[in-house]
Amino acid sequence: MSNQEKPVQSDDFDIDLALEKALGAPAPKAPYVYDVKAAPNRQVVMPKTVPLPGLKAYLAEKAALEAAEEAKWQKQLADYEAAKAKAVAEGAPEPKAPVKVLPKKDPDLTVPVPSEAKDPDLLRLAELLGEGVEEAFEQAGELTCQVAKERLLEALRLCREDASLRYEMLADETATHYPAAKGFAFSVVYHLTSISRTKRLRLRVLIPEGFEPESAVQVYAGANWLEREIFDMFGIRFRNHPDMTRILCPEDWEAHPLRKEYPVVGWGQRDIDFREDRSGMLNRIALEKAGQLGINLKRPVAE
Amino acid sequence: MFKHQEMEINMGPQHPSTHGVMRLKLKLDGEVVTECRPVIGYLHRGLEKICENKSYAQGQIWSDRMDYCSAIANNLGWAEACEKLLGVSVPRKAKYIRTMLAEFNRLASHLIWLATHALDIGAMTVFLYAFREREAILDLNEAYCGSRLTTTAFRIGGVPQELPEGFEQRVRDFLAKFPACIEEYEGLLNENRIWKKRTIGVALLSAEDAIAMGVTGPVLRAAGVAYDIRKAFPYAAYDEMDFEIPTKVEADTFARYLVRMEEMRQSVRIIQQCMDGLPEGPIMAKIPKLLKSEVNEIYHPTEAPKGEIGYYLVGEKGGAGPYRFHVRAPGFLNLQSLPKMVEGSLIADVIAAIGTLDVVLGEIDR
Repeated sequence: MSNQEKPVQSDDFDIDLALEKALGAPAPKAPYVYDVKAAPNRQVVMPKTVPLPGLKAYLAEKAALEAAEEAKWQKQLADYEAAKAKAVAEGAPEPKAPVKVLPKKDPDLTVPVPSEAKDPDLLRLAELLGEGVEEAFEQAGELTCQVAKERLLEALRLCREDASLRYEMLADETATHYPAAKGFAFSVVYHLTSISRTKRLRLRVLIPEGFEPESAVQVYAGANWLEREIFDMFGIRFRNHPDMTRILCPEDWEAHPLRKEYPVVGWGQRDIDFREDRSGMLNRIALEKAGQLGINLKRPVAE
Repeated sequence: MFKHQEMEINMGPQHPSTHGVMRLKLKLDGEVVTECRPVIGYLHRGLEKICENKSYAQGQIWSDRMDYCSAIANNLGWAEACEKLLGVSVPRKAKYIRTMLAEFNRLASHLIWLATHALDIGAMTVFLYAFREREAILDLNEAYCGSRLTTTAFRIGGVPQELPEGFEQRVRDFLAKFPACIEEYEGLLNENRIWKKRTIGVALLSAEDAIAMGVTGPVLRAAGVAYDIRKAFPYAAYDEMDFEIPTKVEADTFARYLVRMEEMRQSVRIIQQCMDGLPEGPIMAKIPKLLKSEVNEIYHPTEAPKGEIGYYLVGEKGGAGPYRFHVRAPGFLNLQSLPKMVEGSLIADVIAAIGTLDVVLGEIDR
């Protein structure tokens, strides 16, 4: 709008125009700067963890936790033995023996944990792709197969065309941003459905910033809009995609909203000049000034 | 002598048949559509971003606002997805109540589809008849959870309350009169010459195309693929219910209409079974008030009235809300196939095609 001419206002009721005439042109606006202190919810808290489910990570974490628990228990036992020996030497009553505290369990709560891949589909994929499969596991009744990012297209083709897999439909494709991770920045997941075998499989690739994975449109035509959405939300470009444009945000939108560094409030909010005019004073001044200029600013009221 | 020229026009964003704010860029050769490009995003509210900054329980409120015509189906998907992520097991009675309300919601959603679809094509009367029954269903919604459209009907771990007093009788009264209502709609449309001319052979989408494009729901079933998540991957209490998956092979607008009408009959059957076999017992699982997740990643598909609605959740260790939240909206993928349906057909058939897809832009743009 700035380099265009301001449209000519033919009616006499425009308060802004009257104000400009009466008070002179307003001072040019400074660039908009977010005042984080005034609006703390605009501050972005970057995630510190990388919640990427996987069997290896889970087993390592579990072993570490168990070792810590065991060390704590051993220390408690040693403390007890020392206190007991001291009590016997002093003739004082014996201290209470320590009791192992079991974690509290809610009857209706069983947290699903990853387990080893036993499903024939995962084994078949591992057999076909060999080194291409980075990880395969089952969790919460779902099959996950993480493949190398260079062999993604091959994996998708196999899933669709292999006679013992036959995943005909791409149900969903989406991505997750992991800013705290080392070696990769995004995971892209493909949820495949086999209608004929009533099975589901999740393919996952980990990609670094700037990497362009092969587009799944070459295998599943339905990936078109899903990948456009991923591009729109995360800025991941797909190679050989027919139409890599934004889909939900406007074409000239800056940045990609579902990245973790994008604030929930603030960025992209319309820069609206809310004039503090609760008492109606600005309005009154405008009317007064307009009166001096001989302009009738009062809106006609229907009788 | 005559100049041959293609014309490019915008249909929408404010066209009455687009049911919301959707824009179609159409290239026309006379009255024939040669190219169609849907432009969406006018209702984008950043729902996924919002839910990533809310707790698991708060997220459900946003699921109402996606597909506002089938809020309970969205609630069901959300509640079950969270339960799968957190490992919560739900009591049987709660599952029955959920199934029943979800089926009522399917009826309401199909009724609003029928009403507006028929209205777009020019049958005004059906609109009034269908809204009459939808009103009764919304009253039942209100009796159960206090609101008619944005229901937030469930909780993680069960349902918030028992069925209110007199609810059962109201449901039975409704079930007694509703099959006759379906016949009434069919009486208005099935042999209606205009309706048949506007729908038979219009907006064709073959089974291969539909599967490749990720189309689900009645549109896929009208192409002869008996894929219904309620049967294929049962959830809630659907594994205990006796019902059929209606299919047609014509893959046109009329077939989709017949499939949806038959689905309404099946929904009535399911509600009847839920009411008759409603078990005794608790309605809420014994779980802590504040739920914290472990590192986990799930995708939970359910059969919403419009097709497969899938929730993708990534939980972080000790997180009170999802690290990543994504919705696979059925309308989003169904709408993607619109160019395939309408390219080469008349511009008037575009209206029928939009109607038959049953688009609700609230869930497409999220």
